[in-house]
Amino acid sequence: MSKPLKLSIRTGDPRAIFKQVVDAISLAIARNELEEGDKLPSVRALAMQLSVNPNTIAKAYAELTAQGLLDARQGLGLFISAPKQLLSREERSKRLRAAVQRLVNDVAHLHYSDDEVLRMLATELGRIRTVSKTGGAA
Amino acid sequence: MSDFVLETRQLGKVFGSKHALRDFNLQIERGGVHALIGSNGAGKSTLFRILLGFETPSVGSSFLLGESSQALTPACRGKVGYVNDEHTLPRWLTPKQVKAMQQSYYPLWNEEVYRNVIASFDVDPNQKVGSLSRGERAGFNLAMALAQSPELLILDEPTLGLDVVARQEFLDAVLFCTEIDTTVIYCSHQMEEVERLAEQLIIIEKGVLKEHCTPEDFSARVQLWIAPLEFRELIRAKIPNLLSSRAIEGDVHFYVLDPGESFGSRLGLLGIRDAVSQPLGLANAVRAYLAKNHLGAQQALAC
Repeated sequence: MSKPLKLSIRTGDPRAIFKQVVDAISLAIARNELEEGDKLPSVRALAMQLSVNPNTIAKAYAELTAQGLLDARQGLGLFISAPKQLLSREERSKRLRAAVQRLVNDVAHLHYSDDEVLRMLATELGRIRTVSKTGGAA
Repeated sequence: MSDFVLETRQLGKVFGSKHALRDFNLQIERGGVHALIGSNGAGKSTLFRILLGFETPSVGSSFLLGESSQALTPACRGKVGYVNDEHTLPRWLTPKQVKAMQQSYYPLWNEEVYRNVIASFDVDPNQKVGSLSRGERAGFNLAMALAQSPELLILDEPTLGLDVVARQEFLDAVLFCTEIDTTVIYCSHQMEEVERLAEQLIIIEKGVLKEHCTPEDFSARVQLWIAPLEFRELIRAKIPNLLSSRAIEGDVHFYVLDPGESFGSRLGLLGIRDAVSQPLGLANAVRAYLAKNHLGAQQALAC
């Protein structure tokens, strides 16, 4: 049986729904809420759960598979894969730059010092790493 | 056979001195959910009426499932489901009688789908159509359209005036269509529905086809920027592709179409300092895009 996904999406969010699904599942994996070998709901089931076009879910699953987070097992469905990195160095670097740029755009006008921003970023990253090391949910 | 479920060529329609549609060239490929968006009076319903052969075009031609709209065969009509916001039905008949009359036209009639939809909208098949609520009539219309197992389903603002439960039923119906390979053309002002369902976005303005792309591509083209209010006039004068701008407290918020990657530096070169961009979702991008039509009214209000 597939693991029920505690996942919600928001319309009106700056991120497209497919991106929200990708982000939510990536985060759940980083936090060990989803673990290696867990089965994901089918495209149809998740589309019905969230009331969104099944092609949107299919696109999100394809993206997660391309990132190496999911494995498709013939006839059985999609499973959380063992940690691996499928993206090229260029692609990872491109995505990191884009994410940092978004962060910079968002905080530029908030008048925080660089140190304050960096400290908070380190805390958040640390939180994810701690959770994945201890294997427990936060 | 045409790969397009719907096609228009240089289509035009004039009512008196008003162009309802102008040089309209649209091709919609088979499969998926396509959202048609535009302000009130943009020409969406006229387009549907011409496509379905209810209205003759002033110029140009249109095709449904490869057949000319002006000469649709009964077989072709039987493959196209159409639900609009008026949910017009013979008021003196019961749903049971309407179904009995129409069912025989549709060789692929699916009784199970009909019964499921009727049940989910709680429609009494023996009650006169005239005494059904708006939601029940909408449900009955949808049941009739879905039960014919259409290749193409056209929904023209079907959820207008419906409650949240009935709206959800329509959403589920469109999701069901994606499973049975029915192409859906969905016309709605409800951006939440569009965001959940649409794979392609078609934007019409004043009878002209303006955009036809994926929702993601469209969202990426519209940006919101915020700058100190002192630069408002400079922005209005110097920014090409400015969709709209408005003052909010000490800032000016302005929407730009296709700003390009170096837009921030270009603002700097114009002397516009401290400008930042904010991420924008599909609903806000569409709203900003359509708002440029209402700019006159906005400016009048601002004065």
